[in-house]
Amino acid sequence: MGGIVTRARVRVAITGLGLVTPLGNDTRTTWEALLTGRTGIAPIMTFDASGFPVRIGAEVKGFDPRTAIEDRKLLKFSNRYHGFALGAAEEAIRDAGIRPENASAARWGCVVGSGMMGIEFGELVEAHRRFAVDGHIAPERFGIDGIAGADPLVFCRSQANNGLSLLLQHFGIRGYATAVHTACASGGQAVGTAVKLIRRGTADFVLTGGFDSMLNPVGLAAFCLLGALSPDNDEPERASRPFDRTRNGFILGEGAGFLVLEEWNAACRRGARIYAELAGDGNSLSSYRITDSHPSGDGPIQAMAQALADARARPEDVDYLNAHGTSTPMNDRSECAAVRAVFGAHADRIAVSSTKSLMGHLIAGAGAVEAAICALAIHHGLLPLNANLHEPDPECDLDFVRDLPHPRRVGVAISNSFGFGGSNNCVILRNPEDVHI
Amino acid sequence: MQSSYDTISKDEVMEVYPKVAETIAEALGRDLDDVKLTAPLMEGLDAESIDFLDIVFRLERQFKVKIPRGKIAEDARGTLSEEEFEQKGYLTQAGLKRLQEHLSEVSPERFRSPIKARDIPRLFTVETFCKLVVRAQKQATKSPDG
Repeated sequence: MGGIVTRARVRVAITGLGLVTPLGNDTRTTWEALLTGRTGIAPIMTFDASGFPVRIGAEVKGFDPRTAIEDRKLLKFSNRYHGFALGAAEEAIRDAGIRPENASAARWGCVVGSGMMGIEFGELVEAHRRFAVDGHIAPERFGIDGIAGADPLVFCRSQANNGLSLLLQHFGIRGYATAVHTACASGGQAVGTAVKLIRRGTADFVLTGGFDSMLNPVGLAAFCLLGALSPDNDEPERASRPFDRTRNGFILGEGAGFLVLEEWNAACRRGARIYAELAGDGNSLSSYRITDSHPSGDGPIQAMAQALADARARPEDVDYLNAHGTSTPMNDRSECAAVRAVFGAHADRIAVSSTKSLMGHLIAGAGAVEAAICALAIHHGLLPLNANLHEPDPECDLDFVRDLPHPRRVGVAISNSFGFGGSNNCVILRNPEDVHI
Repeated sequence: MQSSYDTISKDEVMEVYPKVAETIAEALGRDLDDVKLTAPLMEGLDAESIDFLDIVFRLERQFKVKIPRGKIAEDARGTLSEEEFEQKGYLTQAGLKRLQEHLSEVSPERFRSPIKARDIPRLFTVETFCKLVVRAQKQATKSPDG
């Protein structure tokens, strides 16, 4: 670290935000819901969930990508969550007031945390109908009917990089692009990767974000089997209660969040509105178990410590933590232990909230959406609510945002995202007033 | 102008045109008004290669017919052998004549020699796809299994 301090530092500005979430189909509506405590969790409507032990979720409601994207042909290559991504990204680009043009396109990059499931349920059903008429999959029929009978666009839509390629195509980005697949850490790691692209000079502008929807029969069944979801079907608005003693699982959500990042000086020169500095990120691997988090917080501890070092921030600079806070018994306990280990006594002075209490868990989209929420908290000087916290778990002894409105100047905000498979990410944002070049 | 191999009347074309136009408009994300019978798909309606596959798939569903992939190219060649039709990637004089007969809906000035065989799809118009559907329908009545 010593030698780096004297060198000119490349800083990264957040100049545009876009959100399509269970709380609203744009940033403003989503943010208002987070400040008023309006929930996005309700009975599942997009398919018949009546046979499932869990019948509630956090769905995006009434979103039509055609209202955001004029290129109707592009939308035929999109499934549900690609539409969310295009919509949120378009909002972010418009919000930033800058978009790739011929002269600048090669200086634009794109990094996304993308969905865990490629094939849509309807397409699986269709494949089953065509190729397993008697109950057995007949691979040879893929060769005969598959070529002649199947929709040629299914392949395009189900590519893991499809969301990324649609974004590149739509915005005419020609610099550098990559997609991150680290389950629930994807969105946060995408944003962190985007910062590195600007720091090392690969790009001057990066469109970055995350998107997902596992709200389909296969995704819901999978999480039901793992016992990871709250089964509180009768009280959807109360079902996600991170850090509460009675919490019993997360709520499956869907949506997308995007940010436009720019090299700081360039953003200042063009007079851009800067929400916050994206000051860095930290990443670690737990290498512990596939789905369990380490009870001591090992893994998240290193991610948060690294993020602070990367941003050259001290633990006592941090005012707000947007927690991973899934509302599963294990995650919340382990995350609190990690926060305590990193911040010691200062942990009592950090305001903490899990916005998953209102919008559920957006899986690969979560980290990016929550980074955008941190930017809004810094920009507005207001903290989003941790809803449904009535009986705090004694093992979760942090200072949670329980009342509204909750004004507070935020100097430094951090956002945690931890994924199945042991990927841990923490992104860190700084108030632009505190950036002195 | 049409060869005996594929005589298709204007009435037959016009009968399928509304649905074909709707299908193409949907596949290419265009307004129905843009999808004129004479519009070239690539240059006029901005179609790319995968759109041809998509359009054929949609037409099969819409008209409940089977259109084997590569059918357009095969039909274009007619009774000519591959060597008679093209040489080193370019259409022969006989090939060009045959293609012009087959794509009678395409205006003559668009057949500028030399034509590369791989550029044939650039000539396709909305009417080309109408004729493809009509031929597939006729084929289906000949042999119900397609």
